[in-house]
Amino acid sequence: MATERAGTWLPEAGKLELGSCCGPRMLSPERLALTDYEYLAQRHVLTYMEDAVCQLLENKEDISQYGIARFFTEYFNSVCQGTHILFREFSFIQATPHNRASFLRAFWRCFRTVGKNGDLLTMKEYHCLLQLLCPDFPLELTQKAARIVLMDDAMDCLMSFSDFLFAFQIQFYYSEFLESVAAIYQDLLSGKNPNTVIVPTSSSGQHRQRPALGEASMLEGVEASLFYQCLENLCDRHKYSCPPPALVKEVLSNVQRLTFYGFLVALSKHHGINQALGALPDKGDLMHDPAMDEELERL
Amino acid sequence: MIPGKYRSVSGRATNNVNCGLHLVIQTSSLPEKNKVEFKLHKETPSFPGRLLQHDLERNYSSRQGDHINLVSSSMPSFPILQRSSEEKILYSDRLTLERQKLTVCPIIDGEEHLRLLNFQHNFITRIQNISNLQRLIFLDLYDNQIEEISGLSTLRSLRVLLLGKNRIKKISNLENLKSLDVLDLHGNQISKIENVSHLCDLRVLNLARNLLSHVDNLNGLDSLTELNLRHNQITFVRDVDNLPCLQRLFLSFNNISTFESVCCLADSTSLSDITFDGNPIAQESWYKHTILQNMMQLRQLDMKRITEEERRMASVIAKKEEEKKRESQKQSLLKEKKRLTINNVARKWDLQQHRVTSIAANQDRKDSDSPSQDPCQVDGSTISAFPEETGSLDSALSNALQGLSVTDTHLVEVDGDTLSLYGSGALESLDRNWSVQTAGMVTTVSFTFIEFDEIVQVLPKLKIKFPNSLHLKFKETNLVMLQQFNALAQLRRIDQLTIDPQGNPVVSFTLWKYYVLFRLSHFSMQKINGTEVTQNDMIMAERLFGILAHVASSELPQYRLISILGDARKKQFRYLLETKGKKPGVVSEENNDSKRLVGENTNRATLNYTTRDFYNEKLEEIKEKKKFCKMYIEDLVKEATEINMKNEALQKLWPQMFIELVRDAVIEIRNKSSYMKLCLQQITDQK
Repeated sequence: MATERAGTWLPEAGKLELGSCCGPRMLSPERLALTDYEYLAQRHVLTYMEDAVCQLLENKEDISQYGIARFFTEYFNSVCQGTHILFREFSFIQATPHNRASFLRAFWRCFRTVGKNGDLLTMKEYHCLLQLLCPDFPLELTQKAARIVLMDDAMDCLMSFSDFLFAFQIQFYYSEFLESVAAIYQDLLSGKNPNTVIVPTSSSGQHRQRPALGEASMLEGVEASLFYQCLENLCDRHKYSCPPPALVKEVLSNVQRLTFYGFLVALSKHHGINQALGALPDKGDLMHDPAMDEELERL
Repeated sequence: MIPGKYRSVSGRATNNVNCGLHLVIQTSSLPEKNKVEFKLHKETPSFPGRLLQHDLERNYSSRQGDHINLVSSSMPSFPILQRSSEEKILYSDRLTLERQKLTVCPIIDGEEHLRLLNFQHNFITRIQNISNLQRLIFLDLYDNQIEEISGLSTLRSLRVLLLGKNRIKKISNLENLKSLDVLDLHGNQISKIENVSHLCDLRVLNLARNLLSHVDNLNGLDSLTELNLRHNQITFVRDVDNLPCLQRLFLSFNNISTFESVCCLADSTSLSDITFDGNPIAQESWYKHTILQNMMQLRQLDMKRITEEERRMASVIAKKEEEKKRESQKQSLLKEKKRLTINNVARKWDLQQHRVTSIAANQDRKDSDSPSQDPCQVDGSTISAFPEETGSLDSALSNALQGLSVTDTHLVEVDGDTLSLYGSGALESLDRNWSVQTAGMVTTVSFTFIEFDEIVQVLPKLKIKFPNSLHLKFKETNLVMLQQFNALAQLRRIDQLTIDPQGNPVVSFTLWKYYVLFRLSHFSMQKINGTEVTQNDMIMAERLFGILAHVASSELPQYRLISILGDARKKQFRYLLETKGKKPGVVSEENNDSKRLVGENTNRATLNYTTRDFYNEKLEEIKEKKKFCKMYIEDLVKEATEINMKNEALQKLWPQMFIELVRDAVIEIRNKSSYMKLCLQQITDQK
């Protein structure tokens, strides 16, 4: 079974199945412009190498019995399949985007039936389920995800599986990005325009005066276009993964003003972003996993 | 002439006083001696005592009543009594005026020798006009309307005073009647015994059918032999031990309900006859033997003679009761101690749970036996005053409640089939040497006020020491994650699981029961929290979490499976995995086999629970390794990049280098002869 599903890494393929950014072809100039170390770091190769060696050390008695080569094969196969994060510690799961996406996918596959059953669960219970897969998963992340679903209100409310899952996806996969976005949002709310301070951009930002912004903050949320400009800059210089800027623009173009959580909810419900991530199927297909059903039937 | 002897009235009749008093009046031949003897003997009190009255009537009234003339006197209210001189000589010492419809006492003139005076069945309201009859020995005022004892102060010789069935409310004005032998006050409204302490010759006192609620003030009655207190409202009796001659005490039809209220009777050495029938105490199961046991001097109880057999029985029963009482006292003391200990443990638990900031301060005290600094735990100091019980494990009363170890920090208790542990210190008790019998009987184990993570660590011990434990109960054990249930899988068998919502937040989850059923499916549990497990529940559990199990077993790389499962399972699992590649049908069979062999569904076996502390410890340990790995990989990367750089550099330089090589070679060969010489020289140099 394991061999059947292995996504073998072919250089020409360019794109790994899960979690990678839109990969340029192998010999593209941007790729070759990076130094060796930077290149490796970008692909997180070193993370996996280090982890592999660490696992080897951990279990050397067992592994020595069936060979190191086989160990490495299995290890990287599982990385490709996305099963390497099962029951691992949180620091590893969080380490790379691919890991995060794999974890999301694993969570979906394992607990899809809970969603199918129609149970509405509390945030704590979802956290419990997460802990079944990762024993030291932090509560704060789950809480933040719940806040997205519940719009920062009534944290003891019950949530449906799909709502929680998509919100959790955004929160977990883009957690650093979201932190920066939150900071930007706060700045905008309080009247400071980070654009004027840090990066000189369009003139419209400079012409805005304090009283005018004060006016803006009396209405709920921030203005969408301004917000987008800040986010665009963020995406450019952010070294963590960000949602594709084009899609973010799509989200923000529909509304005049929006609140922070409104923005997050919109992100979580956006099909395009979900597909760009590639971890979870569309909302409509969330309860179906034909591959898994096939496997189960075979047993 | 002197009248002849009057014989007593025979028969089994009782007199009106209802105490079995049978009055015998005999006069002696010498009137001046004034010796009147009274013989008193008992009769059964069952008849209302009117019969003797009739007899008395027969004796005197029929003979005398006709001869009495009541002449109205000059004083308007009092009639004057006159008898014919014949009568006076015949019956000089007695006068009967019963049923004369008298409303007042008549003035009796010229009868100074009178010794017996009978005013029964009249309507007299006050005792008057008899002060001159100073020789009076017998005065009968039964059945009148007298409201107050008075007018008797001159009758110093009076021996028998019958005042039954009147309306007397208070015993008074008897001070001078020091010779009184019989005092009958039955059927009145007396509520208190008083003013009788000077009657040191009194032998019979009848206070039946009054309003007495208690008995005391009996000192001074040094001759009292019989005391009739039937038909009152007496609730307790005192001072009876001050009556040195008291032989008969009748307390029938009162309100005595405990022996303590009449305990002074035990100290009376003279009592031989007592009645309690008609009291609430007589209905009690312990009545007879308690009385017999405490009053060894008794000869008759409730008018029935006491046999030796009865006495023996009584002492045996009394001993048994004493033992039982002692036992139950011990038990209640034990229970109280237990209760206090549990309270103490609960308080400590609360401190641990809620006041997290003061954990550091309480940590030292947690394990010590001294009371903590918390002021509300003052009880702790009183508990430490109790001697620590090191109970026996194999006493004959193995079925009874056993408090095995009671200190103020934890409690271990074995009650037939239940082992209860309170407080984390109690977990140490599992190390003790339990007798096979005691341990074998235990089917239920209950944990309270103990952290679940701590319980997890002793589960293997539990498995060994209490092999028959089928039902586990958890209360206030801090169960917060579904994952914690994984730890229970290592036990041999669980039939029932009870997780009390108090102190176990996990119960508030919707899915917890299904998870338990899923993870512990190999136990085939029958009840969770008291409700039966249905087939539907099992199916639902599988449906919800079956995929998790599948993922956990089939998608993990082999080395991870093995490292998670540990040595014991390695071989079995490896065997299973090797066969997995074959037909799927075989696999499920193998799984079933393994179920029987191993006792657990192996595809779930990877779902483990390590307590938080252990987990963090492990992560700490791995840190060193991770650092090393990082350095190692960095070295490798450096090497690789160096080589890569060199490679690239070589790539760049190679064309140039190649051209130079070629140029050098061509230059060399340009001069054929010198080149040949050079080559030959090179060959000779080589040798």
